[in-house]
Amino acid sequence: MTSAEAGIRTPGRRWVAADGIHIDVRGLSPPGPLVAILELVGSISDATPVIVHHERDPQMLYPELAEIGWTAERIDSDPGEIRLKLERAT
Amino acid sequence: MRVSGIAFLGGAASRLLPASIPFRFFGAAAIYHLLAWIALLAGATDVPRFAGGLGWPLAALHLVTLGVLVMTAIGASLQLLPVATRRPVESHRWPAVIWWIYTPGVAAVALGMGLPAPILLGGGAAAVSVALAGYAVLLARNLLGADGMPVVIAHGSAALGALFVALVTAISLAGAYLGVPLLGRGMALDLHVTFAAYGFMGLLALGLSYILVPMFALAAASDERRARQSLGLALAALLLAAVGAAGVAPQPLLLAAVGTGAAAVALHWRQMNIALKTGMRRNLGRSVTLMKIAWACLAASLAAGLGVALNAPFEGMAALFGLLLIGGWLLTFLLGVLQRIVPFLASMHRAPGHRRPPTPSSLTAERPLAIHYACHLTALSLLMGAIIADSRWLAVAGALTGGAGAVAFGSFLATVRRRMFAPEDTA
Repeated sequence: MTSAEAGIRTPGRRWVAADGIHIDVRGLSPPGPLVAILELVGSISDATPVIVHHERDPQMLYPELAEIGWTAERIDSDPGEIRLKLERAT
Repeated sequence: MRVSGIAFLGGAASRLLPASIPFRFFGAAAIYHLLAWIALLAGATDVPRFAGGLGWPLAALHLVTLGVLVMTAIGASLQLLPVATRRPVESHRWPAVIWWIYTPGVAAVALGMGLPAPILLGGGAAAVSVALAGYAVLLARNLLGADGMPVVIAHGSAALGALFVALVTAISLAGAYLGVPLLGRGMALDLHVTFAAYGFMGLLALGLSYILVPMFALAAASDERRARQSLGLALAALLLAAVGAAGVAPQPLLLAAVGTGAAAVALHWRQMNIALKTGMRRNLGRSVTLMKIAWACLAASLAAGLGVALNAPFEGMAALFGLLLIGGWLLTFLLGVLQRIVPFLASMHRAPGHRRPPTPSSLTAERPLAIHYACHLTALSLLMGAIIADSRWLAVAGALTGGAGAVAFGSFLATVRRRMFAPEDTA
């Protein structure tokens, strides 16, 4: 079990799972989440999705994602969390 | 649930206001921007040695401050501060009501100053004061109980305090023209200039920069301790200036205020410079060049303010101070920020139902922005030349060039708005 799954969160922590690369940006001060997510997305050259664990709707992220050709999809999450699946647009 | 990134924003939990709210403030600001240059043209003869008093230069000044700066600040802060406070604006109706009271109020103030017509000025000042009091309540309710970005919230709260002083002194100055002054004119004027420009608008600009500049550059959040120190110094400078304006050892206190203010600016600029140098995005274009020029003008305005305080032997010092503070610092900074955030906000607001969200770069309009950039900086240079050389014709040239820049900037805003609502295949 990862520390994130165990409830011990480190802001900005990344880990790899079967459904993609996860990043937990909860607890980061704006624009930290935006920067951390775009940094991760920018480092991916293939079709690997990114799963974002956030504490709020990251409104400033969407125009930035659109600009680099990625889309966001909201997926099921724990209460109090917003979880997004980011994928390169086809 | 698969949705496009932008359509996803329409959710009930969104902290975004409807697009019509910020864009009505931005649209009105674009029109007042052009009217300000026209008013400056009408008063060009008096511009080089302007030092206050009713007339078209004063109308031009207030078309910029109230019509462009505060108008945009209301729209932008109601849109951006909820991001920092993590609380949505409670009412969507209030900002619209504020716009309907504020916009004609600004027109009445400007006409009342330009014609001059003190009764019109008094009516306009009353409308503007009511609208800004409403805005202050709206902002205060959002800031109370906020749990995000304490530095931005602290700047917002301090700006609100400064707005109160600016409003009281504005009412006193307008009342003086109607024969009912609340305070002595000299003290009211000094407090009004300081608390409206450096206090309300300045602190709002510095505070929102802690969100915007790292976001533009994709950099880490600024050092909170340094940002708090900068704010503390800025508040100390305002306090020193206020006591000086009240007549207590005015020259030593104003000297101390300028020194303390300069230290606040230096700390702030260092934080911004770190964000710009360490961010993932380095090529930030004209918008950040304008912001850097604005920061330089902010520092220069403090030096010019010192010249005014020390009665420097140059008749144009008050006009130069006003140009650097309002045109050079606040207006240039705002136009730099606005050209970057408007396409961004338009992208966030694009109506749901589109298959692919538009990118900010597809919504912007580069050519009008390039024209505006050249015209705005040329206009400021010409006006500076007009003040130094005491030349009416340079002031006329500056006003015409600035007006051309305002038309170009308005064209940029209109293009973004048109593309924002365009059918999907033409966006």
